[in-house]
Amino acid sequence: MSEILNECARVAPVVLIVEDEMLIRRFVRTALEDEGCRVFEAATSAQGLLQSGEQKPDLVILDLGLPDGNGIDFIGHLRGWSDVPILVLSARAHEKDKIQALDVGADDYLTKPFGVGELRARARALLRRQSRGGEAATPIIDFGAVRVDLSRRLVTRSGAVVHLTPIEYRLLCVLLANTGKVMTQRHLLRDVWGASSVESYHYLRVYVGHLRQKLEDDPTQPKYLLTETGVGYRFLP
Amino acid sequence: MSSLATWQRFVLAVLACAATTLIATPLLGFLDPANIVMLFLLTVLLVAVSLGLEAALLAAFLSVGLFDFFFVPPRFSLEVQDGQYLVTFVVMLAVALITGRLTGGLRQQADESDREALRSRALYEMARDLSGALMVEQVAEITRKFLRSVLDADAMILLPDSTGSLQPCAGQQDVRLQIEPRLAIMSFDGGKPVECPQLADSGYAVLYLPLKAPMRVRGVIAVVPADSCAETLLDQRERLETMASLAAIAVERLHYVEVAQHTQVQVVSERLRSSILSAISHDLRTPLTALVGLADSLTVSKPPLGEVAQETAEAIRQQAERLAGLVGNLLDMARLHAGDITLQKEWQPIEEVIGASIKLLGRALAEHPVKVSLAKDFPLVEFDAVLIERVLCNLLENAAKYSPPGSPIEIVVQARDDRVEVAVCDSGQGFAVEKNSATFEMFVRGELESSTPGVGLGLAICKAIIDAHAGTITAANRAPGGACVTFSLPLGLPPLIEEDVIFQHGERQP
Repeated sequence: MSEILNECARVAPVVLIVEDEMLIRRFVRTALEDEGCRVFEAATSAQGLLQSGEQKPDLVILDLGLPDGNGIDFIGHLRGWSDVPILVLSARAHEKDKIQALDVGADDYLTKPFGVGELRARARALLRRQSRGGEAATPIIDFGAVRVDLSRRLVTRSGAVVHLTPIEYRLLCVLLANTGKVMTQRHLLRDVWGASSVESYHYLRVYVGHLRQKLEDDPTQPKYLLTETGVGYRFLP
Repeated sequence: MSSLATWQRFVLAVLACAATTLIATPLLGFLDPANIVMLFLLTVLLVAVSLGLEAALLAAFLSVGLFDFFFVPPRFSLEVQDGQYLVTFVVMLAVALITGRLTGGLRQQADESDREALRSRALYEMARDLSGALMVEQVAEITRKFLRSVLDADAMILLPDSTGSLQPCAGQQDVRLQIEPRLAIMSFDGGKPVECPQLADSGYAVLYLPLKAPMRVRGVIAVVPADSCAETLLDQRERLETMASLAAIAVERLHYVEVAQHTQVQVVSERLRSSILSAISHDLRTPLTALVGLADSLTVSKPPLGEVAQETAEAIRQQAERLAGLVGNLLDMARLHAGDITLQKEWQPIEEVIGASIKLLGRALAEHPVKVSLAKDFPLVEFDAVLIERVLCNLLENAAKYSPPGSPIEIVVQARDDRVEVAVCDSGQGFAVEKNSATFEMFVRGELESSTPGVGLGLAICKAIIDAHAGTITAANRAPGGACVTFSLPLGLPPLIEEDVIFQHGERQP
């Protein structure tokens, strides 16, 4: 956390909360201010759009159930002129809304109710991605005992080479390139298999399974290649 | 004129002939008998035009007789001196008959087409009225009005009730006619008109017409002539069939209006129910989210709280989370019971949803190591991942709740015949044996008055979800102690996966 604190302190990232419930805004604000962020609040989507124009936030936290309109529309509007990371707050059992939000450009979601720790972790991951946006991505990514060398297209686990098929490698690359971000099944299928196979969800699941077999310590309880049930997958180092 | 009775026409024809005689008598001195014949022919023609064919025929014979009696010498006798006059009589009679017949026929046709026009108009009006009818009663009333005005007949509309037997539709209490049910059913089943002239005068309907609409036969209309002229009725069968099909279309239209209204009501109530559910879920979840979040931010606040306050804040957070779980379960149950959930079944590896459930529970499973055992390359299974995740979470939560901290939880996946069996086992005290069958009912808990929290909704939800997947769920105790809940799902035939091959040359990946 100290690393992030430093990062936050250095540039004091700006976070905008768009949420109609005052008490939720309050604890989200407290949690993020503790992280060293400057926090702005909006209670409606109209206000939220206005604020995001004025404050140029580094992260937007958006409640999908706003009283004055659809959160999905908000994302659409915002994505028209900004690629600021968007963290969506949504109720359980609304998988469709989550997928829709992610498909129109949201980066991650949190299911209500959520704890402060979870919120901070997600916010950190998104801010880290945001601050890294300009730099060239490092060609070497480590997670667990696995090292992926993108420049040499080499994957090792505890020093031993792991053989991946072209599709497995492509899938891994897409997930690594979107570290921390929830990738919808549709999105992954399009990026890895191409636009024609966006309905073959079982292919995606089987290949994620292969990757887990080859890269995770316990494929039944993965630590890095995580399932977002009903929505998609996420890589978390 | 058509309103005159036949005898009245004959009287008028006789009077016309008599008048001609009276007018012609004083003219006899000035006119040639041949011209007087012309006057009589004119009379016959006029009678034919105005009084019809029968009167014209009478006038023709009468004219010949009168001419002979009053104008042909010897006058005032039917004798004829000059044989020439016989020719005159014959020609006169022939001309009178032919002209009379021609004009009379013409008249009849004109009358007939007038009546025809009236009936067509009535039919048109009926069609217009029917298009505005809002109830079947109105259709019956309009049809009867048409029959009364055009054919002086009465009718009754019979519609099938829910059991399929034909019943008079409402609002026809004043209809005086008897129905012969067998004929009505014959017409309804066959879709063809059935007539029975023998029933005339008995008060029974004579003609049974099916209400044949585009989709199906909607009912039967039974027609009875008012004054025993069954023949006219049967002559008009074609028109009556047109009438029946108009009525049928109206009845069918009303039927579909009713269907559409019913569907709309259903859609509206469906929408209402699901909007109530989502409103409740939103209204409950919002304060719970605030509660969990606020309590949680207390526990991490700076400077840190005192030990007691810290524990209190932690307890508040835990209780709020539990409450949120309960609300989630209640709403799930409401949705499942309302049939509101459609399964999003997809082929997927079962280990994936197991891993996701363990990850999702996180803190709740912190004190229990979870061991998952399943064969490598286990086939894909078709299920709704979100719902099966609910099942697994509920089972894992129960296992954690009812077994001592530190004890392991086991998940065992096995293929058995055409089913996949997933068992979630703990090392707790197990189920109270006598209660096993009731375990999956709502609100039944394993132990009475237990200090362990829960209302027993969890297993009931599991059962509802597994039932929806055509699976089974059973609870048992295992030998070394502990409870095992096992659910099974049908295995089916998973889709084929084309594997791509590993690039084998050198150490670099393709």
